[in-house]
Amino acid sequence: MERKRGGADKGIPLFISIILVFCILGVVVFSVAKKISVEMSSSAIHNLSESLNLIKGTVEAILIKEAEVQKMIAHEILGSDNPEKFILSYDKNKTMVKMSIILYGQYEGVSNNGEVFSEKELDFSAGKTVDGLPISKSYINSMGTWAYTMKCPIIKNDKEFATLYIEYIYDSFDEVLPDEFYNGKAMLYFMDAKSERLVLNPKGMGERDAGHVNLEDFYRANNILETKLQEEVSDCVSLGKNIMFYHDIQYKNSLIYMWSVNDGTIYLIGYVPIEAIQQEGRSVNQNIFIVVLVMLIAFLLCCILYYFNNRQQNKIREEREKEREIYNKQLSEALRAAQIASSSKTTFLSNMSHDIRTPMNAVLGFTTLLDKDADNPVKVREYTRKITASGQHLLSLINDILDVSKIESGKVALTIGEFTLNNLVSSVDAIIRPMAKAKEQSFDVTVTGIKHEYLIGDETRINQILINLLSNAVKYTPKGGNIKFRLIGLKQRSNQYEHIRIEVEDDGYGMTQEYLKTIFEAFTRAENSTTNKVQGTGLGMAITKSIVELMGGTIEVFSEVDKGSLFRVELELRIPDIKYDNQFWEKSGVSRILAIDDDEEICKTIEILMKDTGVAVDTSLNGKDAISLIQKAESEYKMYDMVLLDWKMPEMNGIETARSIRTIIKEQVPIIFLTAYDGYEIQEEVFDIGNVGILAKPFFVSTFKEKVIEMRTKLNKENNLLKAEEIEGLRGINILAAEDNEINAEILAELLEIEGINCQIVENGQLAVERFSNSAEGEFDAILMDIQMPVMNGYDASKAIRALKSKYAEEIPIIAMTANAFAEDVKNALDCGMNAHISKPIDMELLKKTISHYVKRKE
Amino acid sequence: MKMKKILSFFMAGVIMFTVVACSSNDKKNSNLMIYEQKERKVINLFGPMEKSNPGLDNMARNAFDKTISIAEQNLDLTVEYRTYTAENYQEKTYDDVSLDRVRNNMDDFYLLNPDTIQILGNEGKLADLSVLDNAKNLREVVKTANTVDGKLVAIPQEVVVNGLFVNKDMFDKYNIKLPETPEEFIECCRVFKENGIETPVGANRWWLENFVFAQAYADLYNGGHTSEEVEALNNGERKYSDYMRTGFEFLKELIDKGYIDAKKAYTYEAIEGEGPDFMAQKTPIVMAYWGAANSETAYGNPDFEMRVIGFPSKLGQMPVVAITGYAVGVGSEHFDDTMDVLNTIISDEALKIYTETNKVISPSKNVEVDCIPALKPLNDRVEENVYVLGSNAGMKLEQWGNTCIIVRNLLNGATVDECMAEFDRLQAETLSK
Repeated sequence: MERKRGGADKGIPLFISIILVFCILGVVVFSVAKKISVEMSSSAIHNLSESLNLIKGTVEAILIKEAEVQKMIAHEILGSDNPEKFILSYDKNKTMVKMSIILYGQYEGVSNNGEVFSEKELDFSAGKTVDGLPISKSYINSMGTWAYTMKCPIIKNDKEFATLYIEYIYDSFDEVLPDEFYNGKAMLYFMDAKSERLVLNPKGMGERDAGHVNLEDFYRANNILETKLQEEVSDCVSLGKNIMFYHDIQYKNSLIYMWSVNDGTIYLIGYVPIEAIQQEGRSVNQNIFIVVLVMLIAFLLCCILYYFNNRQQNKIREEREKEREIYNKQLSEALRAAQIASSSKTTFLSNMSHDIRTPMNAVLGFTTLLDKDADNPVKVREYTRKITASGQHLLSLINDILDVSKIESGKVALTIGEFTLNNLVSSVDAIIRPMAKAKEQSFDVTVTGIKHEYLIGDETRINQILINLLSNAVKYTPKGGNIKFRLIGLKQRSNQYEHIRIEVEDDGYGMTQEYLKTIFEAFTRAENSTTNKVQGTGLGMAITKSIVELMGGTIEVFSEVDKGSLFRVELELRIPDIKYDNQFWEKSGVSRILAIDDDEEICKTIEILMKDTGVAVDTSLNGKDAISLIQKAESEYKMYDMVLLDWKMPEMNGIETARSIRTIIKEQVPIIFLTAYDGYEIQEEVFDIGNVGILAKPFFVSTFKEKVIEMRTKLNKENNLLKAEEIEGLRGINILAAEDNEINAEILAELLEIEGINCQIVENGQLAVERFSNSAEGEFDAILMDIQMPVMNGYDASKAIRALKSKYAEEIPIIAMTANAFAEDVKNALDCGMNAHISKPIDMELLKKTISHYVKRKE
Repeated sequence: MKMKKILSFFMAGVIMFTVVACSSNDKKNSNLMIYEQKERKVINLFGPMEKSNPGLDNMARNAFDKTISIAEQNLDLTVEYRTYTAENYQEKTYDDVSLDRVRNNMDDFYLLNPDTIQILGNEGKLADLSVLDNAKNLREVVKTANTVDGKLVAIPQEVVVNGLFVNKDMFDKYNIKLPETPEEFIECCRVFKENGIETPVGANRWWLENFVFAQAYADLYNGGHTSEEVEALNNGERKYSDYMRTGFEFLKELIDKGYIDAKKAYTYEAIEGEGPDFMAQKTPIVMAYWGAANSETAYGNPDFEMRVIGFPSKLGQMPVVAITGYAVGVGSEHFDDTMDVLNTIISDEALKIYTETNKVISPSKNVEVDCIPALKPLNDRVEENVYVLGSNAGMKLEQWGNTCIIVRNLLNGATVDECMAEFDRLQAETLSK
């Protein structure tokens, strides 16, 4: 702004200077032009007067010549015997058109045409003479043209003998006058001074409407109406003076002239437009103006160029300054970001250092104690349990750090597969519910509006999201709090995608608004006296957000301190092309069921989910209505094939309702209790009702189906026994394990030995291949293969084994066993011909189950 | 970038300008200047007006000047105009001067009024124009009116139709019907006079004879026996005074009742005197020629609704055709060139320009033009072939000039009988020649 004002301040003096230059130039040009104009005008007036004098001289010369000729004729007549005969013998010419004589003492004479002549037709009263001869007032003669007569006395012996009258016509002057005057722009008339009649308009010097009759007509036609001017002109004319004056004629400034001829006998009158007089002056002025104009234009162009150039420079300067400001801003932002990042990482490292050291301290401490109390089995077990717990925590920390590292480097890949919401919810429930229970928190799971139970997506990652959110909810909610997990089906945007919303709500500590702004950034953790007691890496939410976004979803958080938090995740998951096994329900004899729940949403969900199964669903919001419906169905012989009954209902609860229902319907019709509670708690209460089952909420078709199968087959125990036997069957099998780390190898060997499994350890992949190729067929039942090993890694070793071209080599189960726990690692392992993947540290139960699965398959 | 381009163009322009400005033509280095003055033929025309510069506003003259310009261009000569206007009524009239100038061979060709055509034709001072190529295109009425002793002595550029120019708004104001007959005309004047219009008829010293001709010759020219009646007048079997009396009595009545101001009419020049009062709506009726309705300097663009009607007669509104014309003096100094000029200005090409400019009736059979609405009543009558001639070279007694002079006598106080006696005297004088 200051700079702009400075620019304007510079501009005003410049502008004033330019104006000043223009003004000075204008004044100079105007003065020069005016001076030239005046000089030229003066010269032109002089030139005009010279021209008029020339005409005047010519006319006067003619008049004098005429007078001299007349005198000569008079002399001739004097010498003649008969003057009248002399006159009659005269033939008129172009100048002297009539000759007459009146003898002295007579009033009438004779003319050359034989007519009687009398002086009374002529007017000599003006008293004007030419070379001493009186000249008459002008008149229209018998030829119809303007004429004048001069009379010449004929003196004989000093006595007047007679008077000679000769008539002259004005037309004769036309022959000696120029054809035009001032390029035809000037008007010229001959005026008889006595009569003020215009008697001759020389050719090329007339003008329509110029007033050709008399002086009055001249004034009228040319709009010279000023009386004073007319009087002055008349005075001058009467005195025979030459005059000129300026006046507008036909809208042009003109110079009017009246030039006396023969002492005012005749006047040359007319006008010349000033522009015609000053033609040269005007031309010179025009040229001066053109030159000045060109100079001004050049000057203006220079100014404009200067202005534009200056503006361009300013613009470039401004742009550069702007760019510089932007760079500075970006630099300062980058610096700030770097500082924040540095600070965050420092904080994180500090946290990590603390968080890692804490369990590590516990491990080392308990190891010391273990060494000390090795003889005390109770303490040993207690220490090992605590060491395991610390190890687990340490593991989760490491997993999180690795996850963040992966996400930040953009190496996360989703493992897309088909899954059921049922499994998802039940696995989450299985993890979270005990945690909540441990903190005496209620954990409420609700599924509403879901249309498709089978979906395609990365189940593990979704599970991770849910576990993160829910475990946080449990962590940051004090004892006795409430955790709500809602799975809501939203309106589908496409038929191919299920649009779901996941809500995790708690009434825990909540978060400040400031923290909410950075909750999804890595290396941050809510800091307050309460939450500091809770262990965590501070990476969970950043991981969660990254995964959600990787799936094309959104995550929002709403929270208030001491009131709780709500996390809302929205995802769109593809619906698989599944053909529903509707025959199952037909075969199972289920075509019509009754669902009883006081929650209308649940009833609706059951209806929606069962829609594709072909099973008709009636719903009821309470026990009484349900009983009425059943009674009605009974009476119409349209009995329900199954009853789904909520455990907890107002007024008449599930058990009461079930007992009442059982009085109406037969025991063959199963009653399945829906409950959000531990099924074992209620199992005893309903045992006497007969043919009842317990189905955990939320309702899913798959679980419902399993339940139906379970209730129909009643083979649960047998299955359990079979599974036990399977695991028991691992005893005595031989396993080849490739593990380069001696400690890990030792731990593995010990663990497997405990389970009765024989294990041979080799140090790298190359040795594993060699050992296997040298083994007899069936010597090994499975191979456990570490991935990262010297000489030859696990992938190459597996490929080499599979490439041995024996059925034994092709079929032997190879189980990857690695600290590389990412989905890509699993994929790589499978791609190399391995059968399964187990991540380190080894979960013995999982290992046993996996080995059991593949070894059994082999058999 | 754009500025650089502009700058480049500007610099290129400046360089070119400088080079051109500084260049010189070596061929012009000679100091000897030869001035050759080409002698140009000059044909003199005597007419009532001076030559105008192109673009001036006198429509009638402009039309004539345009045709003259064609002739000057085609024939490579100059037509100079000579003119005369009487200062007052005591001076020689234009016709007087015309007669003198033709008789003294002062000019090459002349614009003459019908009476002078008649006189000069009879004197043999005018050349026979029937030899001109374009004379064959002329309407018969034109030839008839200008033929003397079998010679076509004058040719007009327009058929001048005279009519009454009336202020229709004033007629409507006093609820007066446009007059058809002399009686109706007298009644109109009475009503105007009673309503405070001091002089209902604006007149000048030239055109009052139109009233006389309309009433005198209505039957003669529209009764189907024109040639017989003209013949009877020429051989003295019938008297002009018998035809003229009713018209003169009519004029006398107008004068006596104050509908015409005789003193003013005696001195007024055409249009200059009565025109301003008509345009100022002080006078409801004037008389003029057809072209005056189109001319800005006459009665063109009035502030009221103007109508041009015929003069009152017992056959209704009667246009009076008075054909002026251009005549060539037999003693013309440049006779052949003058004949060529006349032949050019009466060509269809020239007459078309003239007619379209002035919106008048053309003398050529081949040229027609639409008229303005004000002229429609007059045009309708002419189209119906209802009109009287104000001049007829076939009549031995010149009509237009003589009647004009006798009307002036009437204005000057002569009785109708005295006027009729003058007609009788003139007829006898003519027949005795």
